[in-house]
Amino acid sequence: MPRVPHSSPQTLRLFEALLADPPRWRYGYELSKETALASGTLYPILMRLSEQRLLETGWEPSDEPGRPPRHTYRLTADGIALAGQRVAAAASRQRPAPAARPRPAGGAA
Amino acid sequence: MSWVRRLARGMLVVAVRGRRERGGEWGEAVLAEFGETRGDLEAVRWAAGGVRTVWRERRRRVRALPLYDRIARHALTGALVAAGAGLLVNQFVLSVRMMPSGSMEPTLRVSDRFLVDKAGFRLTGLHRGDIVVLAGPGGSERVKRVIGLPGDHIECRAGHVWRDGVAVDEPYLPGNPAEDRTECAPTTVPPGHLFVLGDHRVVSTDSRQDGPAREDDVLARVLTPLRLAGAG
Repeated sequence: MPRVPHSSPQTLRLFEALLADPPRWRYGYELSKETALASGTLYPILMRLSEQRLLETGWEPSDEPGRPPRHTYRLTADGIALAGQRVAAAASRQRPAPAARPRPAGGAA
Repeated sequence: MSWVRRLARGMLVVAVRGRRERGGEWGEAVLAEFGETRGDLEAVRWAAGGVRTVWRERRRRVRALPLYDRIARHALTGALVAAGAGLLVNQFVLSVRMMPSGSMEPTLRVSDRFLVDKAGFRLTGLHRGDIVVLAGPGGSERVKRVIGLPGDHIECRAGHVWRDGVAVDEPYLPGNPAEDRTECAPTTVPPGHLFVLGDHRVVSTDSRQDGPAREDDVLARVLTPLRLAGAG
């Protein structure tokens, strides 16, 4: 079965964090803390989402002198739709109705 | 700021920017957040992830280049790596030498090229009959055949070489009775030394005059002459 894009546990964790308050611009460090993803995992995912126009990015000028502008993120309309779909699909997989999802014998789990 | 944080930040800056004023968008994004981290461990982990991010960003950039550019980059990298590997191999593993004298005729003639092994013999050890390149005075090199290993008793009787009381079979000699005659003083090869002779006994200067050579002076072992089939 081909893998569904944007459905890894790490990406789902990020989607959940971004869906908490979609219009708000978020920072990388804050997202890393919230999702417990290392920067080396988080940023490549952000990069991929932004490339596919699922994520908007911006530079927010710093209010404190001497600090560099910070990169900010929020989901686009497409991103919100896809993230909602993926999170919902994952939730339904976690508590499968036994009758609705018969497991074929010997099939891969 | 602790020295660990400073080091982590310094490495991240180098990874993101290199010699440029400003790095790629995503590398800069990670760098801009560095100040948010708390504690040395978190700073180091953040910087390590930043390096990974830069690597991924770079790979994406390269993938977006036109095919021709990508091929050219690969070819250039490949050529540089191959040249570097070639130099290392030539220096430490395999190399080509030229025969400086006629002392190994007819096995190796003057100006014959031959392939030498610079590393393998150190693992396998030298054997009787091997041809070796020895360091001579003033950076010169001598090429001789190993006749005796440490502990061997070498003597010459009636123009033939004897090792531990047995006549040595020497099919590599010129095959001319006048040139094959070998005279030498009886010698027991001391530890760490080799008794070496040139195949062309009337021309060669070797352990008959100089005594056993030091094993430490062995630079390489001759693998094979490089001669075009049919040439000479």
